[in-house]
Formats: sequence, C-alpha cells, structure tokens
Amino acid sequence: MTALTATTTPAARPALHRGGLLRAVLRTHRTALALSLLALAAASAALVWLHSLENEARAGVSACATPPMDGLPSCAAVEAITVDQTYANGIAFLATALSWLMFAVAAWAGGALVGRELESGTAQLAWTQSVGPLRWLTAKLAAPAALLTAGTGALVLLNVWARGEADPDLVGDWYYPDAFVSTGPVAVAYALAGLALGALAGLVWRRALPATGVALAASLLLHSLLERHREDLWPTVGRTAPGSIELPRSAFQVTWDTPAPHGVHISHATFHPQSHFWPLQYVETGLLLAVAGTATAAAFLLLARRLP
Amino acid sequence: MTDTAIEAAGLGRRFGRRRAPALDGCAFRLPAGRVCALTGPNGAGKSTLLALAAGLLRPTEGTVTVLGTTPAAARERLAYVAQNKPLYPQLTIAGTLRLGRDLNPRRWDAQVAERIVAEGDLDPDTKIRALSGGQRTRVALALALGKRPELLLLDEPMADLDPLARHQLTATLMADAADHGTTVVMSSHVVAELEGSCDHLLLLGSGRVRLAGPLDDLLAAHTLITGRAGEALDPHTVVESRTTGRQLTALVRPEGHLGDGFQSDRPSLEEVVLAHLRSPDAPPLLLDAREAAV
Repeated sequence: MTALTATTTPAARPALHRGGLLRAVLRTHRTALALSLLALAAASAALVWLHSLENEARAGVSACATPPMDGLPSCAAVEAITVDQTYANGIAFLATALSWLMFAVAAWAGGALVGRELESGTAQLAWTQSVGPLRWLTAKLAAPAALLTAGTGALVLLNVWARGEADPDLVGDWYYPDAFVSTGPVAVAYALAGLALGALAGLVWRRALPATGVALAASLLLHSLLERHREDLWPTVGRTAPGSIELPRSAFQVTWDTPAPHGVHISHATFHPQSHFWPLQYVETGLLLAVAGTATAAAFLLLARRLP
Repeated sequence: MTDTAIEAAGLGRRFGRRRAPALDGCAFRLPAGRVCALTGPNGAGKSTLLALAAGLLRPTEGTVTVLGTTPAAARERLAYVAQNKPLYPQLTIAGTLRLGRDLNPRRWDAQVAERIVAEGDLDPDTKIRALSGGQRTRVALALALGKRPELLLLDEPMADLDPLARHQLTATLMADAADHGTTVVMSSHVVAELEGSCDHLLLLGSGRVRLAGPLDDLLAAHTLITGRAGEALDPHTVVESRTTGRQLTALVRPEGHLGDGFQSDRPSLEEVVLAHLRSPDAPPLLLDAREAAV
C-alpha cells in the first residue's frame, strides 16, 4: 500500500530534530523572549551601575558633625553628596519592578501564551501535528519557567550584591514588602506562580482578554494576601518590660502594647528579628510553589479531561 | 495497516446539557483511500465530526476509530485544517513551514509544502498576517500536506478561494492524494464544489447520518421519476415528491421494477443532496455498512 511507504521512509532521522517542539515554542513567542531578554539586560546593567555607586552613596547618609570632629565628616560635605538619592531611588525602583514581575508574567501567560492560542485555534493547529496536547503544554510551561527561574534568580543575586551592606537608611529595611520580595527566592516563586496561574486561566477561559484579566486578578489577590499575612508565616519573638522597650534596629514589629493596669507602664512587643528573614522566605516560597504546582496540575488535568 | 480510515459507532457529541446534540448516534465507515465529501446544511455537525476525528474533541457518546486506532494515537498520521485556517500571524510563510518540520520531525516533507506555496506565487518571507484569506488557505494546506498524512481532514477548505485557485488547489490535492493513497474528508455545503473530485459521500442532517456510501452506489440507488399525479409510488421509498398541476416529479429509491407510467432519469449529486435536505424526514440510506460486510 502506498501510504505505508510514506510512514516508513522518513522514520530514520528522528534524532536530528529533537527539540523541535522547544524551537517551535520559542519561535512563536519570539517577541516576548526578546523583550524579556532586553529587560533582563537593562536591569542587570542598572544593578551593576548601582553597585558602583554604593560606597559613595553610603557616604551621603553617614553621620556628620558641624564642625567636623571625632572623625565624622562635616554635614555640609555630606549634604553636598547627591548620589545617595540616585542610588536609593534606583534600588527602590528595581525592587518594585522585581516584586511586580508576577503580574506581567501572569498577564502574558494567560493572554499570549495560552488564551490567545486557544482563541485563535493555533493551539488546535499544534495539537494536530505530531505533538500531543500534554507535551505541548509541558513545553509551553517548561521553557518560560526555566527562563524565568534563571533570569529572576540572577537578578535577585545581582540585587543583593548591588545593595551592598544593605544600609536601611539607603535601601529600606529587610521587611519592606518590595525589599523582602526582591532579595530572596520568593521573587522566583512569585514569577512561577504567576506563570502557572496565567496558564490555568488561559485554559479555563480559552480567550485572551478574559484570561489576562482573571490571571491578573488572581495574582493581585495572592500578592496582597501574602504581603498582608507575611508576619504570620513564622512565630514572632515577644518581649515584655516595664516602662518602654527599645526594639533592635531593623526589627519587623508586629504588635505593640502598653497596658497600664495599676498605673505601672508595661510594654509588650512582638516582632521578627532580622534572623527571621530566611525562615520567612522559605515558608512564603513554599506556599507560592504549592500554588504554582496546584495550578499546573489543574491545567494538565483540565486539558487531559477535555481531549480524548 | 487497516483498510478503514474512519469508523464511527453511535457517535454523539453535546455542547451543554440544554442544547440539542451537535452529533447524535452517528454510525458510518469510510474505507481508506477514498476522497469523501462531507456535506449537510449549516449546523448539521460537519465541523464537530471532523474535530472528533482529529482528536480535538472528546465524544460524549459512542466511539470514533481513526486509521484503526484512537484519534489521539493516530495524531501523527492525520492532518486537519480547521474552518478558520488558524496560523501564527507573527510568523512568515517560511517560518510556518519550519514549524511544521519541527512539530512533525518524523514525517515532514519540505518539498511538497514548498511546492504548494510556490504554486500560489507566494514569497516565503511574507508574514502570515499580511496574507489574504485564500493565501492563508494555501499555506494551511501546505502545512497539512507537508506532514504526509494518511488521512486528511479538511473543514470547508475551499470557501475563501477564488475559482481559479480553487480549481488549481483541488487538482493539487487530488493528485497528491492519488499518488500517496491518502484518504481525504472534505466538508462543504456547496455540493457543486464536491462533485467531480469525490468518490464517497457522507450527508449529515441535524447531527445524524442521512446518506453514506460510495458516490456511484448512492446515485445508482436513486431515480428521478416523472409521471401523472396520483400514480401509486409503492413499494418504492420516496425521498421527495412534488406535484405541479397533473405532473408528479419524485426522487425515489426503487425497490424492484418501476411502473410503466413513469419516465425515469438518473439524478445528479446535487439533486440527490438537495432532495434530502428539503425532506428531513426521508429515511437514511447507509451503503457503507453493506460494503463492510462484503
């Protein structure tokens, strides 16, 4: 039979084309890939530049005396330094950008990565090639996930490096929402959760615009929920003392009570010391990865149930 | 290897509980190597049937077997061109064909695909979004044929094409199908478009199979008769009959000898199809099952 020859002859060269699906995914999302690489390069360059300003910037917020004494510089000299403003603004901007990365990723994943493909039928076009829908979704999720992990991870490391000694007067305390997200593994976990939520929204709504909206809304909800309850993710440290208490610098204060039952002032405070940075990062990362994993599993399940 | 391209048994598909099923209890068998016309009025279930065969929908009832296996397992061996000819607008024609190569690593035949594009005088560096509807159809067909499918499912393939391009692409398609023994299923509601290129017919109406079988057998089973009004048409199966004045015109499936009072003619495909479309209550005629038994 003639059709038989068609099946057997080209079968000898499969190894040559391995990775074809990955190439196809990268080719169809070339614009997004180029834009994100551009953003990564710009952010890296900015962080390297900010790092070079750090020493000078620290001098701009150092203690001073008029007239200069005890090795302290003169206040006029300190005030003449303006680099500290540039540095602080730059670091704050990049911290905000890194902690909002999730929204861009979710909107893109819901709209362009999955929603638009299902709406225009190009997903169905891919599924009727030799690639099954589940492999298609795997490639669609794995390629951006790998790039996001590498890119965001690199930016977090660069950010930590650019913050240098992380002087709270310059770059904010460790528990400031943007600073917290942009200096640890949660940044990567947020981006991955955004990707998974976007892909799930795209598969559920099957149209680009509603999927983008839903993915954005879900990400906003998750982001603000975690920001609000970050302090509850790890047990706080309590301190009670008569009169007033002094918490250490950079303590993440959670409650502050000064009851005066019998005219005696007693202060009670609960807070996270700076040493809680890592436990808080780990718990939040774990929660976000659980959300990402659940959304991914739901997306696969949905696709497998919908198709034969 | 199997000699059956598509076989459906009790195949049904519903979209939503309250709506009438798009397909309801379809049973038919399409032998391999045929060029099958899939026709029927709008909303008859043509696109649903093709999407089910392409493995893009899950049947709510019954089964469909494609190339002797499930549609999902036959994915590599079938090609499907959807009604709206989806393609990535941001890619060039050459990029689209490279996509076909990347997604069909074991089957891709670049020459076939490139030839179809070249026949339409298309520049491979043109972006898909800059193409007209007919040019898109050509690229979609190039992508489908480049895969060297054993079964080609085309949903309204020629709707956007001008008559010349339609003629030429149909010829390319038929020559390719004949060379490689490809089974082709082509849906259309324009019957004239199908006559001449197809040798098998599947007529759907309200989600059910009305006519199925080799074109010649289906035509031979019907007779167009004219006679005096009031003549008895028993025991023949009447598909449609009309009386104008004292003259009776009817399309019947004769059972044995027709009476002498009738003048009989062979109907055209269009007449058979239109008669069935005008009389939704006419009994279905399935000639494919009998063929399967032989």
